[in-house]
Amino acid sequence: MKALKHLLVVPLVLAFLISPAQDSKKAKAKLSPLPGTTRMLITGSAWFGYQGILNNTTDTDVTSNFNDYGFSPVFLWKLSDRLFFESEVEIGAGEFELEFAKLSYMVNDYITIGAGRMLTPFGAYGERWEPNFVEKFPNSPMETSTGSHLHRGAIMGVDVRGGLPLGSVKMNYVVFISNGPILDQSNGMVQYENLLEENNNNKELGGRIGILPFSNSSLEIGFSYKRGIAGNQGDSVYKDVAASAFAIDWNYVNDISAIKSTITFRGQYNSLSVDDAIYPVDESSKAAGTYTFDNKQTLYFAQLSLRPSLVGNKFFKNLELSFRLNGLTDPQDAAWGAKDKNGKGGTVTRTDLGLTYWLSWKTSLRTAYVSTAMPDDSNTNEFLVSFVYGL
Amino acid sequence: MKKIISILILVGGIGLGAFTIQSCSTSAMVQAKSGAQLWGENCKRCHNVASPSDYSDVQWDVIGTHMRLRANLTADEMRKIVEFLQSAN
Repeated sequence: MKALKHLLVVPLVLAFLISPAQDSKKAKAKLSPLPGTTRMLITGSAWFGYQGILNNTTDTDVTSNFNDYGFSPVFLWKLSDRLFFESEVEIGAGEFELEFAKLSYMVNDYITIGAGRMLTPFGAYGERWEPNFVEKFPNSPMETSTGSHLHRGAIMGVDVRGGLPLGSVKMNYVVFISNGPILDQSNGMVQYENLLEENNNNKELGGRIGILPFSNSSLEIGFSYKRGIAGNQGDSVYKDVAASAFAIDWNYVNDISAIKSTITFRGQYNSLSVDDAIYPVDESSKAAGTYTFDNKQTLYFAQLSLRPSLVGNKFFKNLELSFRLNGLTDPQDAAWGAKDKNGKGGTVTRTDLGLTYWLSWKTSLRTAYVSTAMPDDSNTNEFLVSFVYGL
Repeated sequence: MKKIISILILVGGIGLGAFTIQSCSTSAMVQAKSGAQLWGENCKRCHNVASPSDYSDVQWDVIGTHMRLRANLTADEMRKIVEFLQSAN
């Protein structure tokens, strides 16, 4: 853990050691924009969706529903050559939420320090592929039902990041320190959606390293790790219970002239592990005492998309066909999570088959057939439609 | 003993990191890439590629900085891409 803390300290110290020499007047000028020179842009997206449930229904079930709407403005301010502020507000389905609000200071070409509420720099989906105008499906990859937010989420904290050229290869990095995970001490669930409240003084440390091994940047492979104490401050039983997670993400995008198409193959595999601890047996089960379990979750998605972007026909070149496989495995002996017929935790599998028509580079009509198989052998099939308007 | 090891890791890490970053350089082939080529290669990694005419010069400057931070583009890539978009819109 100490070594990990040092890994975070290193870039901060580096930032000041190798920052280009600059006199204080010049630095002040770069930090203080003159009136009227602040550069700002409002962008974002709006969306509207429909859901049709195709099976597992009774006469009283609603199977046809315009179920989704929202508006998500993104505010970008370039305050000076070195200072940048970005924020997103999401207004949708009756809720209003500040997704992120982050101020960044570009120390030099290789190091930027950011602070505030930010998208979790863990894996690639949350920061890169989650924005509505980027996502190719009407839905998102499957997420855990316990609030562990392995594919996306937001943290309160500080990060250091940058991109580095290494010959014909590129590398990028992010390290962060933030408010950490919170353990539900009644059942072992961990939630990562940390706002202003924190349940202990320990801060979570984590980061991601991305490698682009080809000179045309067509492939990126990312490795992420994070760890923090999740138990309540001072609690005699849970104060040392930590949660750690790692992720591997990949993204390959290339034009294949032989099939006159652009293919995208991307995905993310996550593993979350919580230290062993004892939990009280649920009173409703009329059993006394405590129990423990191997508290591990895995979550992944892998998607392949094909867009015939190199054909001449305008209609076909704007079509994109996508397939996505999602999987979630909950702990076998937890009191929560998807269960098989024997009451043991199992794997939920979801397959998404999508067809999107791009009206512009960020406006699209998306459809998908979604089939979800539960560990108890039940399944649900849905048809989703979404119209996303890029602003 | 643990403290000494921690200090050694810290000093070693700073030294190695400084050496790595100071050694950052691009190959001649990468250095020769134009803004247009970098625009084509990098933007489509995550999303469809916008036309230069979609935004003004000032807006491209803002978007370029945003994407440098979001996608961890190198500073050199960002500068070339923004210059190309501003010249082509």
